[in-house]
Amino acid sequence: MNFGKRFFGLSATPFVNSLHLAVLRLRKVRARLLPALLWVLAAPSWADLAIVGGRVYTLEDQEPLVGATVLVADGRIEAVGVDLPAPFAYRRVDATGKIVTPGLIESYSHIGLREIGLESTTDDATLLEHPLGPAFDVSYALNPASTLIPVNRMEGVTRALTFPLAGVDPLAGLGAAVRLGGEFLLAPRTALVGYLDAAATDLAGGSRAAALQRLVTAFAEASRFSPSRYRPGPGDYSRHDMAALKRFITSGKPLVLAVDRAAEIRRAIDLAAAHNLRLVVLGGAEAWRVREALAAAGAAVAVRVHGNLPRSFDALGARLDNAALLHEAGVTVIFTGALHNSSNLRQMAGNAVAHGLPWHSALAGLTRRAAETWGMENVGVIRPGAHADLVVWSGDPLEVTTWAEQVVIDGELMPMRSRQTQLFDRYRDLSKPYGYR
Amino acid sequence: MSNNSMPKLNAVLLLAVCLSIAGAGLAAAPHESTYAPRSAPTTLIQGVAVLTGTGERLERADVLMQAGRIAALAVAGGLDSAALQALSAGSGEAGRWNEAGGGQERQQEAAPVRIINGAGKWLTPGIIDVHSHLGAYPSPEVASTADGNELTDPNSAGVWVEHSVWPQDPQFGLALAGGVTTLHILPGSGNLFGGRGVTLKNVPSRTVQGMKFPGAPQSLKMACGENPKRVYGEKEKAPTTRMGNVAGYRAAWAAAVAYREKQRKFQAREADAAPERDLGLDTLAAVLDGEILVQNHCYRADEMAVMLDVAREFGYAVTAFHHAVESYKIADLLAAAGVCSAMWSDWWGFKLEAFDAIPQNVALVDAAGACAIVHSDSAEGIQRLNQEAAKAMSAGRRMGMAISDAQAIAWITSNAAKALGIADETGSIKEGKAADVALWDRHPFSVYAHAEMVWIDGHLHYDRQDPARQPVSDFDLGQTVAGEGR
Repeated sequence: MNFGKRFFGLSATPFVNSLHLAVLRLRKVRARLLPALLWVLAAPSWADLAIVGGRVYTLEDQEPLVGATVLVADGRIEAVGVDLPAPFAYRRVDATGKIVTPGLIESYSHIGLREIGLESTTDDATLLEHPLGPAFDVSYALNPASTLIPVNRMEGVTRALTFPLAGVDPLAGLGAAVRLGGEFLLAPRTALVGYLDAAATDLAGGSRAAALQRLVTAFAEASRFSPSRYRPGPGDYSRHDMAALKRFITSGKPLVLAVDRAAEIRRAIDLAAAHNLRLVVLGGAEAWRVREALAAAGAAVAVRVHGNLPRSFDALGARLDNAALLHEAGVTVIFTGALHNSSNLRQMAGNAVAHGLPWHSALAGLTRRAAETWGMENVGVIRPGAHADLVVWSGDPLEVTTWAEQVVIDGELMPMRSRQTQLFDRYRDLSKPYGYR
Repeated sequence: MSNNSMPKLNAVLLLAVCLSIAGAGLAAAPHESTYAPRSAPTTLIQGVAVLTGTGERLERADVLMQAGRIAALAVAGGLDSAALQALSAGSGEAGRWNEAGGGQERQQEAAPVRIINGAGKWLTPGIIDVHSHLGAYPSPEVASTADGNELTDPNSAGVWVEHSVWPQDPQFGLALAGGVTTLHILPGSGNLFGGRGVTLKNVPSRTVQGMKFPGAPQSLKMACGENPKRVYGEKEKAPTTRMGNVAGYRAAWAAAVAYREKQRKFQAREADAAPERDLGLDTLAAVLDGEILVQNHCYRADEMAVMLDVAREFGYAVTAFHHAVESYKIADLLAAAGVCSAMWSDWWGFKLEAFDAIPQNVALVDAAGACAIVHSDSAEGIQRLNQEAAKAMSAGRRMGMAISDAQAIAWITSNAAKALGIADETGSIKEGKAADVALWDRHPFSVYAHAEMVWIDGHLHYDRQDPARQPVSDFDLGQTVAGEGR
């Protein structure tokens, strides 16, 4: 195996730049001294990458590094900078004239849980009858063979949160963090999601008041929950649910609430504050109306950028500049709404820019801010020690005329193929005989 | 209305009644459009980049709109200089071009001519969405206004979606801000025969009649595949299978052929009585007569091929397959049959019949020489059909296909007009066509582009800089903050 990689195994952990550059220099010296034979043995793993010549948005700094090199070793970013020499043994990826960003993070998806929307046998995100509430943990059913993984990976999405959908209870269950290359499940029980939007009102018997009351009561009881003393009445959460809710409350993980109307967003802020939970508002059509309160609470909003319709009476204040207004007030803005087509997250972020969100903040909402929101460490940035999730784009990643030319996940070059490209290849020339191509 | 026009009107009514009794010519006569173009001052856009919709891209052009039509399109500086001088001066000479309306012409002689500097901007034909449910499925989405699917019988060919359209749907104004000047409203796809669709001008109006595109043919919405068999499968009545779907179409067409034959015999005095009036069969008979166009919801390639057989069997034409996510598999057959495909850029996987959708569908259909259209079927998507076309173009380019922007703009303009039977009137920037155009602040295939101004029949209906030119529906009053849009 790669002798050098073991020796420089430190590169997998973050360390200061100066030390890092010293290591690089050492490697260069070694490269001159070692006989060619050793390189033949050591190099062919192609494990290490040098992405050269690109305009690199590191998300550490608003300004890009122009004509920069990103070095990747052991699945991590080893170094990034202009005039950085690319070691001989590194596989070169030419990004001249291209843009390089961290891989995109989809903050709210059902990847690996739902293959085909209307086919219930392929949908493990929607709990229709089973009496599980906050204990519902989707990580048991994640499908690493889902066709959504290569399709969305080709569009530059490298990590995602995958969540239960609204089922039979306002608290739908626990979502998981997944990776779209390599081992699929990154972390189970990453966040708890509840649905309090207009569509979910029925889940608590038809009233928003009842839905909120159910949550407030359950959270209060869960924080002092003891299995031996808990006597659930009809319709109350089971011991299993209460135990899960208690574990969640003490975990420090984010509480995700799908809620649109300004009044309920305030209630959601109160609930999260009462239990010291980080709040992520999902959708939040009227979040802009309570942006100061959201900012003060340190909440994030996963904005549905295209959701400017007064789609329900909870969303009468929906507007295209929701993201811009929230950002201006200091609220963390991430994105949602693409579902099966994660590629459209870029378009949504682009439209947020078209309606006032600064470009770099839009990119951050797909990368760094999303990683921070979901507690993903060393993700969503290009800096030494960070996970090497990278995308080389043909142009501005927020443009609808741009595509991902190469995707890298944890240092691995991802195949730019999917079931969709196979269908394209099969049918691009209809004169060929059918069925064996 | 003056008194002396009354007898004439009575005569028309009498004729209509006679025709009704005769059971003939029922498709066109009633429920006519009352749309009247608003004032259309002469407008000159100078030095603008133009995607004509006819496959051309002009880097710098002058476009003259007068009396609601495209009066001239020329390379910048190419318009007749005397005419331009007159326009610039806003003199009486220019006034001659103002207002089509007869009596007011003299009074408006001195009306100023609007000259717009188009430098750095882009002009396209007004966008046309061939598949929309605005008004029939309005916002807010509540049961009391969800009026798009008459799910009481798999054949509801007798319903007209225009009778469901709520003109105060706030979604119309949002689509206008996205450059949409014309839209075709269809009934839903729960039935084999969903009913008649209607083409609307995207103008504020108290009545749906005031939006109806004058002279545009109605459509018949048909639906293949999962939806009808699911809807009626759940009710445990036919159809519950795809073969049940096809039997349902064929039975209805056979009845329509017989109905039409009875009408023909009555008119030819070979029979004593006209067939009893049947609203559904009226619709189907009008399709057989070529007066109503078939817009057929159909995802899968194999089902489209079957529908072409059904059409051949009964002697009608399919104008367009909608949601045709698998058109790329039979693009050659569709080109040969002369059928349009109305497609999304990238929707897939939300149901099994959409599992084989690929983002190159539109590009492959276009490359095969078939008529390709990008449609929305969405009150969000209709606001940015320009971006959807851009995505479809880019997906093709990503795989090495050569597609120009001038070609791709046709997917949301001229090809769409063709599928609605209104291509002679709108959908391209060409002398003599209706002045239905959108001015963009940058290339319309950029995600950052905004429609700055939108004209319909030469009237400026939308101006991004002027709140007074941004329609607000009744519903939005008191719901949004004045001066702030959605």
